[in-house]
Amino acid sequence: MSVEAAGKAEASRFSLTNLIRQPLLVALVLIVLLLALGEMLSPGFASPQQILRLLIVAALLGIVAAGQNLVILGGREGIDLSVGGIVSLSAIIAGNVMNGADSGILPAILACVAAGALFGTFNGIGVTLLRIPPLVMTLGMLGVLQGLLVVIRQGVPSGRAAPALSEFVTRPFLLGLPGIIWLWVLIGLLMAFLLRRTVFGYRVYAIGSNEQAAFLAGVPVRLIRISLFTLSGAFAGLAGLCLIGYAGSSFANVGELYMLPSIIAVVLGGTPLSGGKGGYTGTMAGAVLLVILQSILTTINIDESGRQMIFGATLLVLMLFYGRGRAMRA
Amino acid sequence: MSNLTIRGARKAYGATVALRRGDLDLREGEVHVLIGSNGSGKSTLCKIVSGSVRPDAGEVLIDGKTVSIDGPRAARALGLATFYQELSLAAHRTVAENISLPELPGKGGFFVDRERLNGIAERYIRRFADVAGEGFSADARVEHLREDQRQLVEIMKTLATEAPILIFDEPTSSLDRSQVERFFEVLRELKAQGRAIIFISHRMDEIFAIGDRVTVIRDGETVGTSLISETKPASIIHQMVGESELAVTNGAPPAAAEVKTEAVLSVAGLSAKGFVNVSFEVRRGEILGFGGLHGQGQSAVLRSIFGVNPTDQGTIHIKGEKRTIRSPREAIRCGLAYISGDRGRDGVVHGRPILENVTPIHFLRNKLSLVRPGSLRERAAKPLSALKTRFAGYDQPVNALSGGNQQKIVIARWLIDRPDVLLLDDPTKGIDLQAKTDLFALIRSLAAEGMGIVLYSSEDAELLANADRILVFNSGSVSRELTGADRTRYNLYHAAYEAA
Repeated sequence: MSVEAAGKAEASRFSLTNLIRQPLLVALVLIVLLLALGEMLSPGFASPQQILRLLIVAALLGIVAAGQNLVILGGREGIDLSVGGIVSLSAIIAGNVMNGADSGILPAILACVAAGALFGTFNGIGVTLLRIPPLVMTLGMLGVLQGLLVVIRQGVPSGRAAPALSEFVTRPFLLGLPGIIWLWVLIGLLMAFLLRRTVFGYRVYAIGSNEQAAFLAGVPVRLIRISLFTLSGAFAGLAGLCLIGYAGSSFANVGELYMLPSIIAVVLGGTPLSGGKGGYTGTMAGAVLLVILQSILTTINIDESGRQMIFGATLLVLMLFYGRGRAMRA
Repeated sequence: MSNLTIRGARKAYGATVALRRGDLDLREGEVHVLIGSNGSGKSTLCKIVSGSVRPDAGEVLIDGKTVSIDGPRAARALGLATFYQELSLAAHRTVAENISLPELPGKGGFFVDRERLNGIAERYIRRFADVAGEGFSADARVEHLREDQRQLVEIMKTLATEAPILIFDEPTSSLDRSQVERFFEVLRELKAQGRAIIFISHRMDEIFAIGDRVTVIRDGETVGTSLISETKPASIIHQMVGESELAVTNGAPPAAAEVKTEAVLSVAGLSAKGFVNVSFEVRRGEILGFGGLHGQGQSAVLRSIFGVNPTDQGTIHIKGEKRTIRSPREAIRCGLAYISGDRGRDGVVHGRPILENVTPIHFLRNKLSLVRPGSLRERAAKPLSALKTRFAGYDQPVNALSGGNQQKIVIARWLIDRPDVLLLDDPTKGIDLQAKTDLFALIRSLAAEGMGIVLYSSEDAELLANADRILVFNSGSVSRELTGADRTRYNLYHAAYEAA
């Protein structure tokens, strides 16, 4: 009854409270406000070059968040905590496969995406066939990946990015924007297409919002859920590759910093952790917003640990606003 | 402490009145049987006594004093204990712990007194020791027990409260003969101690074996109370049906459709959890009804055919071909459709647009991978308008619609591509009268076009008005088939209660 009533109200009334419930709009307004705030705190913060740099960083986060978004949309407490580990692993793989040579780019892309997809598939199998809660499964996977990273590295310096890749990520490519931003836009379009125009997308929302009904309607629930985790891993793998293009070489656990922000970006963008509604456009705005916030915190000399605390708190506050639509546990 | 009187209890859920005027007079030292058909208000009255539902009007008296039962804890404090039909045991704990779960014996206000805990358990287990079967002991974990043994634990748990008033709602459904007899012996002892017992069962023989008095409820009203020794099954059923109804339906049940085509679905010797050895055939153009009291295996049969629940035994033929169905996916591919009345759980994809809600079956049956909203809208329009669905647009979230319209959306999902067999699992639960009328008009016309339809309805009037043939379920098997002029309410209840 209450759900019906809420639905009716949403459809008919237009008010400030409803406006605030439009996460995408809120995020866009916040982006502008934060940019203005940054400019006030430190003149030059909102300069074009600076904004471009922020967008590159946001693109890296946004690619990870694309996978995170899919997993969360699929519902049943879907979450992928292993993305950070996959990003780190993929950065090392990319560095070693390319080792500074442009000819290594294509193999590196294949290796990174394949490795990410592989670990993602493990997550998916653990969650669906072995019925391990996603939180536990992907946290365990993160532990495995961290151990793996230590073993692989063994003091050996990890490889370098190919020059062409660095150029793709950092130098203007088209209309003054670097390739990675175009890649991000492309991913945004593909995600929108996937979610709105493919049967797969419809099924993702269906299992995210009522798994039992989806199952009775013949949706291959497990297969879809496994592929969501696979895609999440693949996106994280791709992000790891791009990251080494941005940083030049991979450094210790570079990907760790993506776990929490990728989740925050999704929730900020209007996809509740309970799944079944929302989409990637909001997540993109969420990623930009978060990167600006991060940059402001750096500007006012808050170190990494402080930033992590603030992010953690942000996520909790967001849960209060957007997470209450439906109880997390059915 | 054990005389309970309920006068004029009334309870409505929204516009639906579940109980109009419930009266009950329970005296100490008796087993009082409560009987009524589906939706008669019997379970609502029972819930009022157990404290899980608060009446809108009426009064409850214990030993002549007005009391209000505000929830299960208050009920306990007033000396009422209820055996719940849907078992409420802690699966990972032992039998002894479960028996004392309502009131764990304490030590020092914090610790559990294990000695007393086991003592209490032993006392009740001993009563059933020779009938409980293997593996039943105080320290056995409930998860390792059989269905009947769990039911015994639930019974012991109720007994262990030592409450003066005990309510048993279908306590014998999984018990075997010897267990039932032992349970009845225990009830007779309790009676002799002056306790009062409300007993609900769908087995006439049990009612006559243990009951002292019987109260019949019909259409939300208490019809009357009589002494078991002065009545007989047939007259109880007469009371449940009502004189006016007897006069009407004895005359002419609705004409059954003339069906002489081949069987589109035939099921032979099907057994699974919840039912045994069920066989039937549905022909094209026919509406086969499943009747009887709630939860006698009707839904379980439909869900097993549809591949939701696994089957242990039996064969299913669809359009003459033998099929093994392991999932709804396979069932849909075989031409089956399954519509559940629990649309919130089984049907509606919450918060999503209507378009997304009507399309999943179409995608599957046509092996599509891309969505073309334009063509989808066109395809969905036909079944939606056939059902007279009222909605603003395909992008409207489904939850903005009324319950009846939501259910129509779910039904339309199955009709975009015509199935061969429609399995309806109490499809009109909680929808308005107009929506019901629209739905049954459509179902009849689908049958006329050659679909085979299985209709389980917990609303007896609906079943009698729409089914060409009715299989009455009792304890997981078909107790009787009603055809032609036999499709009367009297026969339905008679078979549902297995009256002698």
